[in-house]
Amino acid sequence: MNRRDFFKIVATTGASAAAAGCQQATEKLLPLVVPNEQMIPGVASWFSTVCRECPAGCGVIARNRDGRVVKLEGNPDHPVNHGALCIRGQAALQGAYHPDRFAGPQRREGGALRAIGWDDALKLAGDKLGSARSAGKGRGVALVSQLENGSAGVLMDRFAEALGARSRLTLEPFGYEWMRAANRLVFNRDAIPYHAFEDAEVVLSFGADFLETWLSNVAHSSGFGQMHGFRAGRAGTFIHVEPRQSLTASNADEWIRNAPGTEGLLALAVLKVMVDEGMVDKRFAESVAGVDVAKVATDSGVASETIKHVAHVFGSARPGLAVGGGVAVAGSHAVQTLAAINLLNAAAGNVGKTVRFGPDSAYGKVTPYAEVAALTQAMAKGEIEVILIGPGVNPAFTLPGGLKFAEALAKVAFVVSFANQPDETAALAHLILPDVHWLESWGDYSPREGVLGLMQPTMSPIRDSRPIGDVLLTLGRTVLGSEEGKGPLPWSSFEQYLRSAWEPAIKAGQWEGALQQGGVFKDVAVVAVTAKTAALDSAPPTLEGDSSGLVLLAYPSLRMYDGRGASRSWLQEAPDTMTQAVWDAWVEISSETAAKFGIAGGDVVKLTSPHGSIEVPAYVSASLHPGAVAVPIGHRYAPYQIPRYVRAPGAPINPVGLLAGAPDAASGAPAFLGVRVTLTRTGARRPLAILQATHDQDDRELVRHVGLGAAREEALRGKTDTPHEMISMYSPQQYPNYRWGMAVDVDRCIGCQACVVACIAENNIAVVGKAEAAYGRQTHWIRVERWAEGKASHPKNAFLPMFCQHCEVAPCEPVCPVFAAYRTDEGLNGQVYNRCVGTRYCGNNCPYHVRRFNWYYYDIPEPLNVQLNPDVTVRQLGVMEKCTMCIQRIVAGKDRARDEKRPVRDGDIMTACQQTCPTQAITFGNLKDETSEVTKLQHGPRAYTVLDELGTRPSVTYLKKVVRDHA
Amino acid sequence: MTAKAGVGVLGAVLLAVLVFLGLSSWSRRPAVAEPSVQPIAFPHNVHVQTYKIDCQYCHTDARRSEFAGLPSVTRCMGCHKITAADKPEIKKLAEYAAKSQPIPWQRVNVMPEFVYFPHKAHLRAQLKCQTCHGPVETMTTYAARTGPRISNDLLNLVGLRPAPPSLTMGWCIDCHRDQNAKRGTHAPLDCVTCHH
Repeated sequence: MNRRDFFKIVATTGASAAAAGCQQATEKLLPLVVPNEQMIPGVASWFSTVCRECPAGCGVIARNRDGRVVKLEGNPDHPVNHGALCIRGQAALQGAYHPDRFAGPQRREGGALRAIGWDDALKLAGDKLGSARSAGKGRGVALVSQLENGSAGVLMDRFAEALGARSRLTLEPFGYEWMRAANRLVFNRDAIPYHAFEDAEVVLSFGADFLETWLSNVAHSSGFGQMHGFRAGRAGTFIHVEPRQSLTASNADEWIRNAPGTEGLLALAVLKVMVDEGMVDKRFAESVAGVDVAKVATDSGVASETIKHVAHVFGSARPGLAVGGGVAVAGSHAVQTLAAINLLNAAAGNVGKTVRFGPDSAYGKVTPYAEVAALTQAMAKGEIEVILIGPGVNPAFTLPGGLKFAEALAKVAFVVSFANQPDETAALAHLILPDVHWLESWGDYSPREGVLGLMQPTMSPIRDSRPIGDVLLTLGRTVLGSEEGKGPLPWSSFEQYLRSAWEPAIKAGQWEGALQQGGVFKDVAVVAVTAKTAALDSAPPTLEGDSSGLVLLAYPSLRMYDGRGASRSWLQEAPDTMTQAVWDAWVEISSETAAKFGIAGGDVVKLTSPHGSIEVPAYVSASLHPGAVAVPIGHRYAPYQIPRYVRAPGAPINPVGLLAGAPDAASGAPAFLGVRVTLTRTGARRPLAILQATHDQDDRELVRHVGLGAAREEALRGKTDTPHEMISMYSPQQYPNYRWGMAVDVDRCIGCQACVVACIAENNIAVVGKAEAAYGRQTHWIRVERWAEGKASHPKNAFLPMFCQHCEVAPCEPVCPVFAAYRTDEGLNGQVYNRCVGTRYCGNNCPYHVRRFNWYYYDIPEPLNVQLNPDVTVRQLGVMEKCTMCIQRIVAGKDRARDEKRPVRDGDIMTACQQTCPTQAITFGNLKDETSEVTKLQHGPRAYTVLDELGTRPSVTYLKKVVRDHA
Repeated sequence: MTAKAGVGVLGAVLLAVLVFLGLSSWSRRPAVAEPSVQPIAFPHNVHVQTYKIDCQYCHTDARRSEFAGLPSVTRCMGCHKITAADKPEIKKLAEYAAKSQPIPWQRVNVMPEFVYFPHKAHLRAQLKCQTCHGPVETMTTYAARTGPRISNDLLNLVGLRPAPPSLTMGWCIDCHRDQNAKRGTHAPLDCVTCHH
């Protein structure tokens, strides 16, 4: 008897025992009743729409398999995001399939929500609106929505007007009012321009976190990749000024740590140097007459040599781009700071080149926060009878604690929420009329002038929800007593209204084309503006609270945004790149402060401001400005996540609760940089789940560098040092058809984690929760490692996306007793789940630590299971898994090529991580094809493989980070 | 005791256990498509042999999808609105159509969840449906017992081949190897082509 027969006998015995023990369930096959022309069962169809996870308005194409959307990708034709999508866009699916989504309309009865039918719900809302109107209290009706600058907004405005209600307010927690105010001041234009990062040679940012949440992060990341990534001997320069080393700061060639609130001073000092040295027009001297560079250096903690150096670099750029006004550093000084930055751009001649008015951003249409505050005061005074709160907004959570919105909302007699899942505001509503998710709705949204994004349902609603447009039309007609086809709201449905609104914009017969393309995109002419020079006020921001306290830097989280990302478990479990923490908020405390208060990482700290308090665990950072503490905005949990993944925090964890409610006089925005907080140790401990144990490479050279000069030299002349080939006793492996490989440009990776969530969505990666993640049992196939070098107080960071290296001599393979890990003929390390018996030897033997083990059956709460990619096996308990280079996409790509009777060409197959990368840091292709992009990169001068001394011969090549000796 | 005898004893013991378990499970076999189990007694032989309807007339997705697909209820009714409309089984069909309900067919060819079998690629390679599904055109009721079923495993074990087609992995691989050798095709033999 040979080995195979033995296994057959043993396995068959086991199978009989298993078969005897349980019955196999019979499956039903249900055919369609009426065939659907748009759908072939088993074949995906794609629908294009617009992402509404933030006001950036990226184009999305949704992959629909058998009637349900299973994956989102960026629309390659869209002028905003060019095919890429950020971490939140990738996770938007979890909003559509949210386990807590309301099954239908809900009515509050005695404190609890009860299900109610749509007819009754609409009648109730109609009665309340009607009685308010007939009592002459039309002004007592208010309507708030997220930023809707398309048909939905127009329809809502018509509704408000027809009912005699207050005009609609748009509520975006991050409205960048200070940028508009500064543009009014300097350029006499109430707009936010288009920032052409891609055309800049030097980017100088004063606290603008443009790679994270600032205005349009995917567009900026993509532009930054083009501008900063090393290509053919050229690379731009990026200098960032911020008190905290944010992810954006980490990507800078030079990060300058300033004292909080001194960005405007620094911008003026840079301009002063440029004026003094005759680099710019003399007329700007007027604005900087009172600026003393030496005093600015003392106040900001930035050396005057640094200021001069920045001025030289920025002044000599053709063109440069100065940006500023990130939420974290926007206080009462923000307008003057931005005005200084505007002057800097004007003086350097960037306006019209990299700062383009004309294709203005949608953010310019946000209702200033001051009006929201005024409405809140009216509510608190009892002037509001009925308030309709549109979908996508959660004011009870996102507005500053000092505003006391929740208390004001309690004074409103009837609160209608259109939220489709529970949140802090819906918890205070009397009636919930769940809106459809944006993936299920018609609509349009214009992220900037000239770009008209068109939305269409990518699937039918999974819950009994109705589009807010339809509901408002019905409600409006009920209240007005008008009929369909008549009166101010004649349309039968929002879809009909949308089509009629689009009719003039597109010619007959182009509707289908616009739907397919995702909208209508036009170039808008750049509007010329002239800068007014005037002396600027350089007063520091006013700070409330104990003068001995620390300045609070509340910054929007790339993962959570204002809080809407937090209900997505994928985002909770995708680490924050800088801290590598998952599933909890934290307060970043400088090591000086931590030593002073005796705080260690994981100690729960109470932060108190005059407006509230929060309790979060501490994260001790050596790089933060010692005068500040930093807390990410937006952390909260959805009901289904507790206690499934995480324990409920005892106290609030969102730092906006600490902020003042009064709007800033100059901009009408909330003062995000406006309070000092006092720290107290609570004595409790809540250690963070941090997925990376160290940021020190310890001479392992995982990330490698090359100087810009050397890289240029090599790019021109080819590789100077060819690494010696490892001698092997074995003959090299032969690849008959293809050899798949990848190249990762470390110079381009910005650490945004979009690839991590794209991989989760594509490959059915399980969510394990905080406690399991703290054990290192997360199941991500790709991780973005942060490696820091240099002084701890001023580290230089590099980001290394790490995933299965598909080694030719793979350490995982020989240790597998059942041949579950094996080498394929196409250069992949296959992992056969049905063979795997879970010894975990392969995981232990993998030097890259990329294999993941299923310690449990990770349950997927319904209806999130509907999102699972039907082309990928859902792994079960006891099975090892890892990156497959998206084998299902390779199989599909080969299948398409065979249909066309040709070999696979470069670009036919894109892995999920590559597809979503905004900077195009990842390349996939056939290494046997000498002309493919990946082969060229592999033979390029910057190529290296991680841990090459082990002789594993990976199929994944990394390209060295290009560093500047001096920015 | 020699090694050979040891193997023999092990084999005999395991075989005994197996026969016991096999017999004990026999009476509790999972329900598969027996003639009476299908909601409508659908005779493949009448459709294929008598009326010469091509397989892909009804299973339209086979050439373009992973799944062969079942005809929609309206497609069945396309003929049966008139054809044999008075027969009791057709009346059942008409009832489903009138209620706009799908027919709850019982699945016959069962693949484990970790197997990806694309019909499309096999049709492109000009395979006949019968190669895998057997002589369906002669069957009054299609009720193959396919895949890694206990009966197939037992037959394999004692050295007998299960009645073709068994749709087990060994059977798939045999065919792929055979075709590659005889016809010079490139039928994949990589595990991950089907298991991913």
